[in-house]
Amino acid sequence: MKQFYFFLLASSMLAGLAACTDDTVAPEDNWVYAPTPYQLQVPAHFPILEIPEDNPTTEEGVWLGRMLYYDPITHADSAKSCATCHVQEHSFTSDPTVIPHINLGWSKNFLWNGKLQNGLEDAMLFEVSEFFKTDLSRLEQHPDYPRYFYEAFGERTITYELAAKALAQFERTMISANSKYDRVLYGDQTEFFTDAELNGWEIFFTEKGDCFHCHGGILFTDNDFHNNALDTEPDDGLMAITGNPLDKGRFKTPTLRNIALTGPYMHDGRYETLEEVIDFYSEGLKRSDTVDPLMKSVHLGGKHLTEQEKSDLLAFLLTLTDSTYITNKNLASPF
Amino acid sequence: MRTVQRYLPLFLFLLVLGLFSSSCKKEDSKPAFQLSFEHEVAGQDLVMFTQWYDCAAGHKFQVHRLKYYLSNFNFQKLDGTTFQTGLVQYIDLEDPSTLSLLLQEVPEGEYTGMSFIIGLDEFTNVNGGLPNTITNINMEWPLPGDQGYHYMKFEGRYDSLGMGSIKNFNLHTGATGGNQNYVQVQLQFDNSINVNSGTWNIHLMMDLNEWLQNPHVYDFETFGPMIMANQDAQQILKENGADVFSVKAIEKE
Repeated sequence: MKQFYFFLLASSMLAGLAACTDDTVAPEDNWVYAPTPYQLQVPAHFPILEIPEDNPTTEEGVWLGRMLYYDPITHADSAKSCATCHVQEHSFTSDPTVIPHINLGWSKNFLWNGKLQNGLEDAMLFEVSEFFKTDLSRLEQHPDYPRYFYEAFGERTITYELAAKALAQFERTMISANSKYDRVLYGDQTEFFTDAELNGWEIFFTEKGDCFHCHGGILFTDNDFHNNALDTEPDDGLMAITGNPLDKGRFKTPTLRNIALTGPYMHDGRYETLEEVIDFYSEGLKRSDTVDPLMKSVHLGGKHLTEQEKSDLLAFLLTLTDSTYITNKNLASPF
Repeated sequence: MRTVQRYLPLFLFLLVLGLFSSSCKKEDSKPAFQLSFEHEVAGQDLVMFTQWYDCAAGHKFQVHRLKYYLSNFNFQKLDGTTFQTGLVQYIDLEDPSTLSLLLQEVPEGEYTGMSFIIGLDEFTNVNGGLPNTITNINMEWPLPGDQGYHYMKFEGRYDSLGMGSIKNFNLHTGATGGNQNYVQVQLQFDNSINVNSGTWNIHLMMDLNEWLQNPHVYDFETFGPMIMANQDAQQILKENGADVFSVKAIEKE
């Protein structure tokens, strides 16, 4: 019994001691760095998602990235957040100059002219440090962000690199893989193409329409740059970055996933509708010195599809819309 | 700290063991082949995009893109045995990292020649037959009814014999309509090489002009730029492809 009283006494003294210590300790000493790995839902029919070893995807990192994406605090003047231009209901774009944020985890090149080619972290680093010129001191003084950064990275100093890493982690969760196309080809075989969609699929994936050489594969982009015969005097495109005249008019191939949501089209938004885009590839091709060899019918001005073929091709393109992506709550504003 | 002290002897033991075994390994390390893939047009250096070349059909042509697979490498020895590797090599002229292949653990012997496939055999050339990487996905051959991957994308432009228009050509080879169409290449070494140690550099040269001649003259005008489902064009390219490669040099490092 004596021992029990001694135990009680000792433990209450210890508890008291601990309480005393608590009073003198700053709240950040109680922050915990124990990140939980984030279970990325990469569909089986998608390519291998390469994640840099120094930036594993964690619940804490993705949360922080999502906060930063939607919070105007990232902008030097708080004028806008990433989400101001990357609007979820438009597959995270809003304007032809704004590349949609969709499946960028697989992207090697960023921006229409390929200005950024060193991976997602590097692209995000540009966004915070140069494009938005984030004022890091405002993040440091914020009541919550210092803790979020600590929980995500175990670092007490907020840097552009860490903000970029968090944004890249969030971007990797922006996976769209639930279009009708995915469900028909990789689903439980309860959905089927209509006759028009099926015919459009054949036009798309054969040399009849020959869309697939650039917009093919499960990502519906080849992650490369092409001059698609838009103009006799093309805009600079990749040449603006490389200085190489052979790159004049070469622009990044945009994904056709969610293409119905992301008009107007082309790098300068010259076409309002997908019908106009199809008309262009059918009859409107123009030769210039750097036209890609894959534009096989440029000497004929285009593919010369019939009206029926055009409407079938459009029907197929509409099967690439993933409506669950634009309503996915995990990608929506956390505010 | 105590943990460190407790395990320090074990750690040192493992370290010494590691050093010992790695030095052993070095002594009896097997020879290696370093394959390099080089390209020319009718004996001239390949200059992409700007240089015009003549072909047997009479056109002038430029080369703008070349991507292809080599597979089923097989090295033949004087004693009749072979060294094979299942590696598939993707080659893209615009990506220098794809222009060489190091094969390690090569068995010793007197080597007289080698063979390989341009493209993929029927076991690999199925949907999903290669790892699901962006590169391989971009080589997919998605024609309804067909399977697998492009074996080669050889693209550029040509003049149409003074008819006033420059046209694009796309020599895209692959399996279509049940025809596998891959190209089997057999190369004899000028002199057999006695491989017992070190790294042997084997320089393989592809002459792009040979796709357009020998035994058949391939005329871009005859088939047009869309040949993926055209077995007549595929057959000509398959037969022309057998001698596009030669062994330019072999040297020991």
